[in-house]
Amino acid sequence: MHEEENIGPMMEASTSSDSQTTMAQKTWEMSNSIETISSVDEIYRYDKKQQMDILAAKPWEKDPHFFKDIRISALALLKMVMHARAGGSLEVMGLLLGKVDASAMIVMDSFALPVEGTETRVNAQAQAYEYMTAYIEAAKQVGRLENAIGWYHSHPGYGCWLSGIDVSTQMLNQNFQEPFVAIVIDPVRTISAGKVCLGAFRTYPKGYKPPNEEPSEYQTIPLNKIEDFGVHCKQYYSLEVSYFKSSLDRRLLDSLWNKYWVNTLSSSSLITNADYTTGQIFDLSDKLEQSEAALGRGGGGGGGAGIVSGGAGFMLGGGSSGGTGSASDPHERRTEDKLAKATRDSCKTTIEIIHGLMAQMVKDRLFNHAGRGVNPAAIEVDSNGLGNSDVPMDQ
Amino acid sequence: MEVDEPGKSVMASSGTVGSVSVSLHPLVIMNISEHWTRIRAQIGTSHQVFGALIGKQKGRKIEIMNSFELLYNDIAGDIIIDRDYYITKEKQFKQVFSDLDFLGWYTTGDAPDDMDIKIHKQICEINESPVFLKMNPQARHSDLPVTLYESVIDLVGGEATMLFVELHYTLATEEAERIGVDHVARMSSNEAGESSLVAEHLQAQHSAIKMLHSRVRLVLQYVQAVQSGELPTNHEVMREAYSLSHRLPVLQGPRFRADFYNQCNDVGLMTYLGTITKGCNDINQFVNKFNVLYDRQGMGRRMRGLFF
Repeated sequence: MHEEENIGPMMEASTSSDSQTTMAQKTWEMSNSIETISSVDEIYRYDKKQQMDILAAKPWEKDPHFFKDIRISALALLKMVMHARAGGSLEVMGLLLGKVDASAMIVMDSFALPVEGTETRVNAQAQAYEYMTAYIEAAKQVGRLENAIGWYHSHPGYGCWLSGIDVSTQMLNQNFQEPFVAIVIDPVRTISAGKVCLGAFRTYPKGYKPPNEEPSEYQTIPLNKIEDFGVHCKQYYSLEVSYFKSSLDRRLLDSLWNKYWVNTLSSSSLITNADYTTGQIFDLSDKLEQSEAALGRGGGGGGGAGIVSGGAGFMLGGGSSGGTGSASDPHERRTEDKLAKATRDSCKTTIEIIHGLMAQMVKDRLFNHAGRGVNPAAIEVDSNGLGNSDVPMDQ
Repeated sequence: MEVDEPGKSVMASSGTVGSVSVSLHPLVIMNISEHWTRIRAQIGTSHQVFGALIGKQKGRKIEIMNSFELLYNDIAGDIIIDRDYYITKEKQFKQVFSDLDFLGWYTTGDAPDDMDIKIHKQICEINESPVFLKMNPQARHSDLPVTLYESVIDLVGGEATMLFVELHYTLATEEAERIGVDHVARMSSNEAGESSLVAEHLQAQHSAIKMLHSRVRLVLQYVQAVQSGELPTNHEVMREAYSLSHRLPVLQGPRFRADFYNQCNDVGLMTYLGTITKGCNDINQFVNKFNVLYDRQGMGRRMRGLFF
């Protein structure tokens, strides 16, 4: 196949940066040469018969927890992110195309739906049905043979989870359009955290109680959405998300890096996320007020001989006024939870801004301190070599 | 370069400069790559693919933001693009991306040839001056194998023929896209799932700085070689290197320092808030655990009554 022949000519590159990348690429290709050939790209082949068999067998009907993983293609991820970002602070919605493979769902592509909404309504999909069918028809003509496997929508700034309406929409989908998955993406958090914030969910059928309550990863939810989250969070479970890319994608992404590194260095997350960070601090202050009120109430007057710190009113004695020993424990746990959760939220925000500041400091050192005794190992410069520059760069 | 075989080369003479500045989104590159990989996986051998480019055009600035596949018919070796299919797709994308226009078309392969000119002429019926993107999925070099062309009508041998002119393009920088691309590019190396957020963040910065360092070193080596006489002096390169080094330091002055320190202070303040919150939480938990421990030793409800 063509990939193997690339190793030879690429070794002749003479510049240092090229040889670095070629060495890395060569080592990678050698260790994975057997797989590089076609198994990485096998996933792009659509086996119609196999898919029809799976659809006929319907192994998911017996087991509500049948699908455990989801594999998303690089292209689908980028498209979803770009679409969500283009929506700004409005939620956007789209459809996923893909197939099923054992207990994993595979998302090959996604496309946007012309649905506008401040609230993703259950019947929003009815408006877009014509678009959907026309699009999938047209796509089949050019070799995109997969069927719809799910839908995605964005929660700009408030995290990846399913709201009450989302849960009912998804339950409906899982009744009529199996197999179907719901993906939620948060473009604002993606940018602020510097990591893709995406979640894939499947709902349980009505009345089904999951056998063991798995602790889900904690998420920072703004105060105004926390109720909606809490009421429904047990009605669905999240799938393990992984991404895949083709061998050509890999090569292109490597080449892309040659131009893209400038953007990485020049991005200033503190400035890009200023609004979002301010919002987070406001939210944090509300949460702290709430937790303070809860703690103060439980202390029944602030605790006699205890340590009372000015604003927070910690309780001593471990009992709520008038409550029995057992009743105080869940209450206590809840108030503790509030403060613990507020702490986690504040930690998350703090980490993000510290990262932003780190980037700024790096840039400041690199570009503003030239000539003030920079680490000599970083830039070896012969003081005579650069004409009559009046910025002495040597040490 | 000049045309050595008349009728074979479709590139205009090398002196012609493109008339528009193009910025390309990485999403388009991934789209084309996926299209090509998919067709290859289905057919079994690599096959040329065709598609359309959409984006925004403001005067002389073109921003190519997305793309989709085009249907074509192979009639006696000539490729004819299906117009009806295009019109259907145009209606569709106008519904979702109302502010994007049709900008051009793409295909895969090596250098542009006659067939591309013929298809380009067909595309000209839709858009007067389309952009043509050619990607080589089997390129042997490590540069991005994507080239952009536009067409000019030139007089060749007395006849007005259409020729291609290469366009320079930049990569568009959208923060979310960059993070997505970064994530996808690096995910295979982080199989273990590093739990250290700082390490991940710094790794990205480190890679970027490493590139910067290697590029600076390259320039330095060139200048040193010129100085020692190994290489002939290219005045333009020397001038650019000089102006580059002259631009350091980038930002100085009291106003910048003041603003920078303001920013540092803001971050410091927020960190302080986070630390205090964490401390409060820790104390609260400690106090509660303390109570649980010492309550059990028989103080119990009797003593609790004393505190109220």
